[in-house]
Amino acid sequence: MRLSSAKRKVLIIAFWLVLWQALAMAVHNDILIVGPLQTMQALFALIQTADFWLSIASTWLRITAGFILGSALGILLAYVSYRKQAVRELLSPVIAAMKAVPVASFVILILIWAGSEGLSFNISMIVVLPVLYLNTLSGLDSTDKKMLEMAAVFHMPKSAQLRYIYLPQLEAFLLSGFQLSLGMSWKAGVAAEVIGQPLQTVGNGLYRSKINLDTAQLIAWTIVIVLIAWLMEKLVVLLLQGICRAGRRA
Amino acid sequence: MTIEVDHVYKSYDGKPVLRDFSLDIESGKSYLISAPSGSGKTTLLRILLGLEKPDRGSIRLLGDYKYSGLNAGIVFQEDRLCEECSAAVNVAMVSRRISRASAKEELRKLLPSDELDKPVRELSGGMRRRVCIVRACIIPSDIIILDEPFAGLDRVNRQKAIQYILDTKGTTPLVITDHSAEGLDFCRKVTFSGCDALS
Repeated sequence: MRLSSAKRKVLIIAFWLVLWQALAMAVHNDILIVGPLQTMQALFALIQTADFWLSIASTWLRITAGFILGSALGILLAYVSYRKQAVRELLSPVIAAMKAVPVASFVILILIWAGSEGLSFNISMIVVLPVLYLNTLSGLDSTDKKMLEMAAVFHMPKSAQLRYIYLPQLEAFLLSGFQLSLGMSWKAGVAAEVIGQPLQTVGNGLYRSKINLDTAQLIAWTIVIVLIAWLMEKLVVLLLQGICRAGRRA
Repeated sequence: MTIEVDHVYKSYDGKPVLRDFSLDIESGKSYLISAPSGSGKTTLLRILLGLEKPDRGSIRLLGDYKYSGLNAGIVFQEDRLCEECSAAVNVAMVSRRISRASAKEELRKLLPSDELDKPVRELSGGMRRRVCIVRACIIPSDIIILDEPFAGLDRVNRQKAIQYILDTKGTTPLVITDHSAEGLDFCRKVTFSGCDALS
């Protein structure tokens, strides 16, 4: 009997949930492992507290602001590097360093320089910037030179060049850059909060779960983080695709 | 206004492509450059457009020009169209002075109306070529340069395209490269002999 794709997915998820619950019941130790039922109970209890929503809002704001600024800077610097070889060469070691330096080192440096308040904002920006920079630059470099020649000969308006020549070329590069960096910004941002401990943040919630040895709450927080990162990724992808589609149609 | 091509030389990797080529392109005149493939026609057009620099010789613009280089309406050897956009958008995008409505009106002179809103990737080679011709002729320019503009066009459409070019060009000088002189009797013929160009 062949199952539809959706049914098969539901069955696969159900299989792993049952296995998880069975494992938790077999171990029978709430610190080592908790089952999905206890996790759901913990999540339900969490979402009824004001602290949960405040933490979500504050972390979301910081990481999203860092993501937006990091993306904007990455794209802008990539454009300048595309136009000016000297800027590209000047930025090359900085971008390479940003990619290679462990996030934990940046976290500690920012804690020393600026304290814990804007920590996840700064870390999110630092993680996103090189990804968007490199992806945008690759997209610009692969723009069809013949189309650019055509635009130059016709003295085509810059806005039209952006819309009809650059944007279609950049779409795939930006999409993969946004998808990659959004997940990274959440992982790195929350990890930074765990280290830096700014009050009323998701990272602080995770840390308190650890202190209280509340594994169910820790997994509940994790589920919330994964869910928000996933929703944000979908939203950004939809937004970008919408902008590109509108650009082509308009 | 005259565009003076003065003793132009161009070579690639030591191989001469243009040798001592001279030509005065005058307002209101049309020129047909007819020569075998690889004889330097496209190189000459690229030098005219400022896309390549000659090794020796010069291009002089005598008269009043809006830009430092030539402002040209051009059909390239390849179509160079935005594949996802319609014919009307492809024509209108090159200049703020062209509305999509006026682009459509012009395109209707060479293309069936029901093809104008389709993405150009869905059009045949001949239709795409006609979109390129309209795009080159519709913008106000110092010169119209058409590099193999009739490739893929049957006899009837070739004739229609030539008539369209004549109707729209006004006094703008026109330079065409084509293998055939059919229907282009109004042009002065510029012949290349290998890399030796004679006008």
